[in-house]
Amino acid sequence: MAAIRKSGGVVAFHWEGKIADPRDEAFCAALATRRFRSIENAASEEVSIGWVTPADPTGDSFSIEDLEGGTGTWLRVRMDKKSMPKKWLQIHRDAAEKSRGKKLSARERREMKDDLMEKMLPRVLPSITLVDALLYFEQKLVLLFATSKAAREGFGKLFFESFGAPLERANPLSCGRVAGLSSEAQIELERIEPMRWPDNTKPDSRPTRSGSKLVAAEESEA
Amino acid sequence: MSQGPDGIDTHGFLGEEFLTWLWFRWEADGGEFSLPGNRIIGVALDDFLAFAAPSDDETEQTLRRGLPTRTAEARTALRQGRRLRKARLLIAEGSRQWSAVLDAASLTLLSVKLPDDAEECESDLDRTNDRSANWLTLHEIVQGLYRLFLQDRLRADYKKTSGELQARWMGS
Repeated sequence: MAAIRKSGGVVAFHWEGKIADPRDEAFCAALATRRFRSIENAASEEVSIGWVTPADPTGDSFSIEDLEGGTGTWLRVRMDKKSMPKKWLQIHRDAAEKSRGKKLSARERREMKDDLMEKMLPRVLPSITLVDALLYFEQKLVLLFATSKAAREGFGKLFFESFGAPLERANPLSCGRVAGLSSEAQIELERIEPMRWPDNTKPDSRPTRSGSKLVAAEESEA
Repeated sequence: MSQGPDGIDTHGFLGEEFLTWLWFRWEADGGEFSLPGNRIIGVALDDFLAFAAPSDDETEQTLRRGLPTRTAEARTALRQGRRLRKARLLIAEGSRQWSAVLDAASLTLLSVKLPDDAEECESDLDRTNDRSANWLTLHEIVQGLYRLFLQDRLRADYKKTSGELQARWMGS
């Protein structure tokens, strides 16, 4: 088992409420409820998303030791996707049209596609994506090592299904809410508007008598 | 109010103001910040800057390589009152140094490089433990800096004090 990554993009999430403690077997049991299930032999186009561990990419076993990530808990999601290669469809369609000497009708094309999928998909291997995350239990924090929308949404759904707690993606507002600010600052945070910095390249943004360009910008907005 | 891609209010502008404030504090005060627990953090902007477009119809400006904060284009963007949307930051605490691009509107860290693994690391498990601590530390530092910014930005007299100083710096 290699070490966890030391570079790349990371998206932070927080959760509210209680989840199983990663030091308890209940945590592994929660992962096992949404373990990865293989679609290797599936005869249709589909996607499978589930938990595995860094030590076992099959999703067959979960143990506390396999999730060891120092101050964090090392989670791994496996996302498999099986789809019919479009070029195969095109090749078969071109061959059929050439041998017949005319274009296939829409119905014939659909029938040919269904027939090909039935024959070929069991032989097509799914593409595999492994996405890692570190869970910091005390901080109620998850750092997900993937930034794509598909990975974020897939991970969030899986987490909720496994632990019953929705993840909230960190953003300037949510981070402000958990920053431990004073109550006055909290109120101000909710209603704050963007700062309009003056455009000093325009001749009408000359300083006012007070010498304040910022005040000048506010006056011109008013 | 700014909204994220899902239509949820996220205050993305506040992240952009935070990143621009880091630049201001770096140039005005040397980029040294004190965080709780007697932690001294050094922050500098590196070789990538992207300015937010003032509106949907206007052009975003990206500057790469060398010292983009020193360029005439960067100074002009500041004089126009534009906020930073992304920038590569160098963050240091003690002997450890991180490099990361901060996507300000979402506070997402991209292209992160952690400090070198500690010399004591002999196994993959040691390295995982060391890196796990470094990922968490980076997150905590950025959150700590953001909290410092918010404490300044959300003060009732912000526009007459720190905001005024930043406006002068941007217009200089």
